[in-house]
Amino acid sequence: MDMILQIIISGLLLGGIYALVSVGLNLIFGVIKIVNLAHGDFLMMAMYATFFLFTVKGIDPYVATLIVFPAFILVGVVIFRLIIKPLLGKAETEVNTIIATAGLGFVLQNLALMLWKSDFRAIETSLTGKSYEFAGIMLSAGRTWAFVVCIAVALILYYVLMRTKVGSHIRAVSQDTEAATLMGINVNRIYTLTFAFGIALVGLAGVILTPTFYVYPTVGLYFNTMAFIIVVLGGLGSFTGALIGGLIIGLIESFAGVMASAELAQVFSLLIFLVILFVRPQGIMGKSARV
Amino acid sequence: MKNIMKQKQSLIVMGILALVLLGVYFLPLTVFAKHILVLTLFYAFMGTGWNLMCGYAGRLSLGHAAFVAVGAYTSLLLFSHFGLTPWIGMIAGGLVAVVVMLLIAYPSFRFGLIGPYFTLASIAVAEIVHYLLIYGRDLTGGSLGMSLPYVKGTTVINSIINLQFDSKEPYYLVILVFWLAAIFITWKMERTRYYLEAIREDEDAAAALGISVNKNLIIAACISAFMVAVGGTFYVQYFRYIDPYSIAGFTLSLNMALVAVIGGSGTLFGPTIGAFLLIPLTEVLRMSLGAQIPGLHLFLYGILLVVCIIFLPKGIASLPGIIRAKRAQKSTEDGPENQASKGVL
Amino acid sequence: MAEKILAVENIVKRFGGLTATNDVSFDVNKGEILGIIGPNGAGKSTVFNLITGFYPIDSGSITYKNQRIDGLTPDKICHLGITRTFQVAKPFPGLTIADNILVACLPKAARVADARARVQEVLKIVSLDKKANTLGADLTTLERKRLELGKALATNPEILLLDEVMTGLKPKEMDDMMDLIRELKKTMTIVIVEHVMRVIMNISDRIIVLDHGQKIAEGLPREIAENPAVIEAYLGRGTKKDA
Repeated sequence: MDMILQIIISGLLLGGIYALVSVGLNLIFGVIKIVNLAHGDFLMMAMYATFFLFTVKGIDPYVATLIVFPAFILVGVVIFRLIIKPLLGKAETEVNTIIATAGLGFVLQNLALMLWKSDFRAIETSLTGKSYEFAGIMLSAGRTWAFVVCIAVALILYYVLMRTKVGSHIRAVSQDTEAATLMGINVNRIYTLTFAFGIALVGLAGVILTPTFYVYPTVGLYFNTMAFIIVVLGGLGSFTGALIGGLIIGLIESFAGVMASAELAQVFSLLIFLVILFVRPQGIMGKSARV
Repeated sequence: MKNIMKQKQSLIVMGILALVLLGVYFLPLTVFAKHILVLTLFYAFMGTGWNLMCGYAGRLSLGHAAFVAVGAYTSLLLFSHFGLTPWIGMIAGGLVAVVVMLLIAYPSFRFGLIGPYFTLASIAVAEIVHYLLIYGRDLTGGSLGMSLPYVKGTTVINSIINLQFDSKEPYYLVILVFWLAAIFITWKMERTRYYLEAIREDEDAAAALGISVNKNLIIAACISAFMVAVGGTFYVQYFRYIDPYSIAGFTLSLNMALVAVIGGSGTLFGPTIGAFLLIPLTEVLRMSLGAQIPGLHLFLYGILLVVCIIFLPKGIASLPGIIRAKRAQKSTEDGPENQASKGVL
Repeated sequence: MAEKILAVENIVKRFGGLTATNDVSFDVNKGEILGIIGPNGAGKSTVFNLITGFYPIDSGSITYKNQRIDGLTPDKICHLGITRTFQVAKPFPGLTIADNILVACLPKAARVADARARVQEVLKIVSLDKKANTLGADLTTLERKRLELGKALATNPEILLLDEVMTGLKPKEMDDMMDLIRELKKTMTIVIVEHVMRVIMNISDRIIVLDHGQKIAEGLPREIAENPAVIEAYLGRGTKKDA
């Protein structure tokens, strides 16, 4: 019984991390309706930034957030203007943005490879290797804090989207761009804002994850797949959905990892992903039909 | 009139290219140059196979490596365990790939999976194959990969049967034939190509005109899978080693898409153009700088892809068409009436 | 001597809570022009979608030349001889006009060459022969309508379903289109959905009227024009009250 509880708790913590990683993707995919295949690679970049800020300047990751988050907003704006905006509004926007972001991801991965080689990096903070014990259950310190941050981010995001004017604009644009324009909303500005925040959020996730994960150029690929599965599973544009999706995937991996091998756990998640895509692409919570 | 010319013209171009490439075989080139040629034609072949489904029908698959891996491992395993000649092995691999494709394609098209969802599904499929290959390590060697058992080429016949040669030239001839076959098959499927383009442009309109959407998509998908699976076998025979990361990985999938997209997806020679442009460039870069700066050639690859998709989304092959259209636009006047009633996509 | 070639019997179609088509029945006779009119939202296009297999019917039957066609896919129904145009024209935007027509000719052509041979001829009928190389995306509204008709004609239909072909045309263009339709009547049967009254009254042999998914009237144009139920459906009850 203890064992099962442990697996469940570990799974939930893992799920929280996945959910944190995918929040930015959900925003971009849900509002701008494009697939950002470079999502995981931005995560990777943030992890490297955190790594270097820690090892070179001694800045604790949680403090580094204050540097990385705004920096990534800027990065997001630049990337949007340079790459995404020229591709929007045309016949093959969907296909072209996928290819463009795939290329971008490639660029980022290999940039990291060129600059920092393929060695695995890790940092040791006060949290590394530490576990909290709670009623007989071991909770990895890093993951617990990541989970807490995830909940905090989700709440803040919820507040912004539901209770602020900007939030309502974002929701309007995600539901009907034409109508939003007619209402006087500057869709282009909303897109830029959303993209920038999506990138900043994944940057934030990268910072939080650095104490608990190895950093290497292709670490983004793994999280990328997970993020997409979660976003589709939970439902495009639904934050509760993404949270639930994250938790589900975390649980699945936790259980499957114990019962079968790590690879089968991945295969299982991917199969669920495929089934969702076929049968219910709007996910568990999503309302919008097929794109 | 124009179309008849295009079809006949293409045949002539095909013939000329084939002769030129055959002639290259006789040139005294360095081993490295020969390697580049083999690799270039390999990607031209793979890109052409990818193009049939993804270029003409417009369903972007970024997971085609799944079928390459299926073909490669099938023929390799048949050879290692039973000594089965790769020529039959590749047919077997191709058929297995077709089965895998049917398993995915049928529900995809039936459930109307389009656009980014289709692409994500294709990526997921490749990942599944990737992980299964690692999981089946008892059979496949897992992430350490598998080597091709070396068979000393005692006679020419033997070498041909085992599809293993000690020099690059015979491989060149083999891949040249494959490439030519792929182009020829695509060329011959004129009717299907038109149907696929119609389906890509507007599925409902195509169906209303009597075009069976599912049937055509599945035919294109299966032929595409078969072709790249055969390419997988060639890969094994040439490189003599495969591992899940390289043969089922996203990089290979992206490369196949890349050469087709940059060269011109949905055109007969687009992927070939893309391959001849990209592969020699990146191989030279890799050799000269790759040792000191790992990843540089892929980095430039990525930049090239992004730039190309922004400025020339339909690839290089669309350049003549664009120039022609710009010239036509300059000579005719766009009156206000025309502007107003122009249909919006 | 009226020869029935299409029999629509008691078809029903529901979308969730909305019954778009409610027990509609009518026949189409060979060689006639049957008009379908009705206020907006009456379900006219839905009927076309049901006949051509784009939506499945919930109940009822559709019989074409003694063969049940409800449940068949649109491409099969086209092969059998029923072709429809779309209310909002659907050209293939990335293909030239000539290729648009070529694609339409292909499914019923034994060889690609046969299809190619017919393209010019079809282009001439819809007066697009001079614009053969224009891309589908670059057409004016009128050209799109013509292309839409051209593609439908290219399939050599026995029954041609025209869905509001007149929308957006100027009076002179409408007259030309009417002449063309009258010409086409010599070789095929036509069912035409339309809003423009003078067109429908002028070219239809018979008219049926739909309102809220139900058939409320059927008969000769003259009879329909004087039918009180039809007038009420269009103008509402107690029109005197409207200022």
